[in-house]
Amino acid sequence: MPISSPLFNCQQATLLIERRADEALPLKTQVQLWAHLRLCPLCRRYAVQSVFIARQAQAAVDYRVPADVVLPAAARQRIQQALDQHSAE
Amino acid sequence: MSQVATTAEPARWLERYGDELYRFALGRVTDAATAEELVQDTLVSALGALTSFRGQASERTWLFAILKRKVIDHYRRQARSPFIPLDLSPEQAPEAEFFRPADGHWRPEHYPTDWAADEASSRSDAALEQREFQAVLQGCQQRLAPQHLAVFVLRFVEEQPAVLICQELGLSSANYWVIIHRAKLYLRRCLEKNWFRPPAPPHS
Repeated sequence: MPISSPLFNCQQATLLIERRADEALPLKTQVQLWAHLRLCPLCRRYAVQSVFIARQAQAAVDYRVPADVVLPAAARQRIQQALDQHSAE
Repeated sequence: MSQVATTAEPARWLERYGDELYRFALGRVTDAATAEELVQDTLVSALGALTSFRGQASERTWLFAILKRKVIDHYRRQARSPFIPLDLSPEQAPEAEFFRPADGHWRPEHYPTDWAADEASSRSDAALEQREFQAVLQGCQQRLAPQHLAVFVLRFVEEQPAVLICQELGLSSANYWVIIHRAKLYLRRCLEKNWFRPPAPPHS
């Protein structure tokens, strides 16, 4: 991709925001990203929202399934049959 | 044949752990049928691997470890589906939707809006709101391309390390970051549209 410095480039800056969550960026890149974020309120917003989305995605596993959901009876029966078949083999 | 140290009781797995395994799976995939399938795969695999259960972990922990592995396999299969080739060529770059290709600036129609202000004004019942928000987030996730969804879920829901995700999905680290970035861009926009700024009635 024909992208040079992240200093004035939001596409590059937001990509680096994702990268830095997982790994240390080279020092020069860190400085450029820091400078970009000081100058760019839009990318600052993106950075906050990106972390928010990651946190919510993790929380999802606890919120999406109410504690009273049970394995449907038909599935239970099917699985039991599969297990019986395998035990018999 | 060596005897297992702690007793595994396959006959009681379904009764003991069936619901719990099912809820675990259901929180990680999009539909009930897939969740049921994962529970079945898990128990059948466990049965086949009984000799590898030596009681270092509890039977329950062991079964959940197998299920977790099955969930990862599920996303790997989805991401590798040969029918949806991964196109990372710049001409097809979806980034151009969000940023001006000339200088990489945000396009005005995609300027991120301030979510905090919207959120604070509409906060009433936190738990209810969290459930509703999760439903919207899930809807947005389901609209991601399979590879994007797989990478996103493995990274942010399953919290797998990047190295492992690249390995599992056969991605270079550069492609991995491009996918993470795109997935976040899409989700960010989708959440903004559907949660933070519901579509306003058309202007006259």
